[in-house]
Amino acid sequence: MILRQGLSAEGKAHARAVGLIALLTVLPLAAQKNPHRVPMPASEQDPMAAETAQRGRKDFLQYCSFCHGTDANGGAEGPNLVRSGVVRHDKDGDLIGQVIRDGRPDKGMPALPLTASQIADVVAFLHARLAESDRTSPRGPSTEYALKLLLTGNAQAGKAYFNGAGGCTECHSPAGDLAGIARKYPPADLQTRFLYPKGPPRTAIVTLRSGARVKGELLNKDAFTVSIRDENGWYRSWTLGDVEAEIHDPLAAHRELVRKYTDADVHNLFAYLETLK
Amino acid sequence: MLLLLLTIAAGLCAQGLDSATLLKPPTDTWPTYNGDYSGRRFSTLAQINKDNVKSLALAFSFDTRSTTLKCTPLEVNGILYLSAPDNVWAIDARTGRQIWHFNRPSEGDHLASRGVAMYQDRLYFGTPDAHLICLNAKDGKTIWDVEIADVAFGYYLSVAPVLVKGRLIVGTSGDSADVPHFLEAIDPEDGKVIWRWNSIPKPGEPGSETWPNKEAMAHGGGPMWMPGTYDPELNLLYWGTGNPHPVLAGIDRAGDNLYTCSIVAINPDTGKMVWYFQPSPHDTHDWDAVETPVLFDGEFQGKPRKLLAQASRNGYFFVLDRATGENLLTAPFIDTNWASGIDAKGRPIPDPVKEPRTNGSLVYAPAGGATNWMAPSFDPETKLFYVNAQEGSSLWYLTLGPDGKPEGHQGGATVSFWSSSKIVALDYQTGKARWTRSIGEGENNAGILTTAGHLLFTGDISGNLLALDPSNGEVLWHNRPGGVMSSSPMTYSIDGRQYVLTSAGSVLYAWSLPPHP
Repeated sequence: MILRQGLSAEGKAHARAVGLIALLTVLPLAAQKNPHRVPMPASEQDPMAAETAQRGRKDFLQYCSFCHGTDANGGAEGPNLVRSGVVRHDKDGDLIGQVIRDGRPDKGMPALPLTASQIADVVAFLHARLAESDRTSPRGPSTEYALKLLLTGNAQAGKAYFNGAGGCTECHSPAGDLAGIARKYPPADLQTRFLYPKGPPRTAIVTLRSGARVKGELLNKDAFTVSIRDENGWYRSWTLGDVEAEIHDPLAAHRELVRKYTDADVHNLFAYLETLK
Repeated sequence: MLLLLLTIAAGLCAQGLDSATLLKPPTDTWPTYNGDYSGRRFSTLAQINKDNVKSLALAFSFDTRSTTLKCTPLEVNGILYLSAPDNVWAIDARTGRQIWHFNRPSEGDHLASRGVAMYQDRLYFGTPDAHLICLNAKDGKTIWDVEIADVAFGYYLSVAPVLVKGRLIVGTSGDSADVPHFLEAIDPEDGKVIWRWNSIPKPGEPGSETWPNKEAMAHGGGPMWMPGTYDPELNLLYWGTGNPHPVLAGIDRAGDNLYTCSIVAINPDTGKMVWYFQPSPHDTHDWDAVETPVLFDGEFQGKPRKLLAQASRNGYFFVLDRATGENLLTAPFIDTNWASGIDAKGRPIPDPVKEPRTNGSLVYAPAGGATNWMAPSFDPETKLFYVNAQEGSSLWYLTLGPDGKPEGHQGGATVSFWSSSKIVALDYQTGKARWTRSIGEGENNAGILTTAGHLLFTGDISGNLLALDPSNGEVLWHNRPGGVMSSSPMTYSIDGRQYVLTSAGSVLYAWSLPPHP
């Protein structure tokens, strides 16, 4: 699946990332510049939110899930309906409705005593399940993602890494900037953020020919120019060659760590940070 | 007699393309997605060259007013043919003036249209609702329209068809419904299917032993995302296949999952596979092996060889003997850690620790992979293979529904932390980088063109269009057309004037040396 877009410049994987990030907290402006972190359009967010789909889910659980599974993904007796041609070709219940009313005696499915409005709700539920399953941005670990799934590490080992090999104390302190961090962010968000925080932005010190130095937030640097927002809030740019630009990346240590961490380090550190309530 | 004269006159004016021309395309045209069957994207045109490229200027632009262009236009007899999902344009290759525009709104995934194919006086292209359409190249009117696959199951066509021996080769894209994919040979006359090759074997067929059961195979994926290449002497068609499904959840599909994430060699007469090589066995990271299988002849360890090289999305560069599929070289072209080593067949060995996990697994590679659809290039003069490569870091989750089955069609999610892009010039005999050049932070999608003018054209992530020296990566020219290139450049020549065509956003730009006043 090479590649999917719509939300970002390109790449299915980008779109997938959006699903995870968009449901986290309100995004700071700096994060919005990252194409991976554009919030999803409302229509993409939750196909199951419609009232009809919610009512349909209840009916589905009562009448259908015994054979087709709670998520319509199939069960011991009945087929996966998300992958069913009848469901995928259905328009407003024209195909699904008939199967519910008449059953499929040849395949062992009885006719079901649902009213027209119940059938319409089940149809809405099944279409919502398709949309949910097909969308380019599956929810992933959202804000509701269970802490117990993430909490697999050893907090003591994480603390030791934090104070030792990780070198985290050079910038951070559990009593200072990280105090109460586990209360501040939902678990999946905390894991993402400690691995690679959103900001602070890079800064640049630009040395002009005159020897004067201008400092500011780095906006762009390519092979030809450098541009910053200076300390007075003004946009400024120069041609490289006329000036020298020294870039400071406050996240440089995080970049080095993501190459070094073992997965055990990641999960131990997460377990430790979760203790900072 | 009059009729005969008219026929002759019409013949003389034909604007079309035949099989013989496709086998040896004139060097001044660009009649297929990759320019020729080899996929090298090297042009022998040298009017624009290392010494004069600093004078390169805009000749014309054409705003499609559509989405970001991801196609490579064709140039045949003074006309450019380009596409975006639902749309095809014919424009004057001298001026950018529109000749006609075809539009057919459709349902389905509008991710991309890589381009059109031309045969005789007709154009062929795929649609978001998985139809293949034949247009009259003269006026853009529909001649036929056939359904290749069922859009209700998420199938669509993004690949530019490839015309081989009078047949169109098309492949299906899509991954949203966990369906099996295929390549088909289609009769360009009427759209009828001549043969089909399935990415996923049927139970009992060779390759089925790499799947746990019938159910996994029935939903195994292996879509097609990019046009393949062709060697007329060996009569082999080379195609890269996409990843298995569900994309990120490997739990219900133990095994290598053939022929997903594979490079396959197919006899275009029969549709039978002759050999295969699998860059990513049992993929769980979306490492499609669909990047252009580039064909060139060259020395390898002192022996002349017919070679096939692919810089694959999984971050490894592969060199194969294209007659036999024998692996000659496997070497990483980015720093990555998803594989624990390379096996005896030259395949990276997936590290189970780096598979997506419910608690998240950290992979050193961007979520989008080490490269993607942007075209690589092989320059026979420098003997270097060029690829736009991405490096970075990402977190991979396995997500399961309440029933314990993979959630959604992917069964997972990824978070990309950061990435940076660079042009890497690889020595194909060692896999080592001769030079690299950073093109910025983030994932850049600009393809590469090399020319006999000793030039390499590409773009950076800040929106600069670049002409580099292919022997060392130094910038020889740049311009800012006002958008980022998300396609691959091409070149052609008309009336003795060479043009380089690039896109930025939805706009096409043609560059040439300023004409004499």
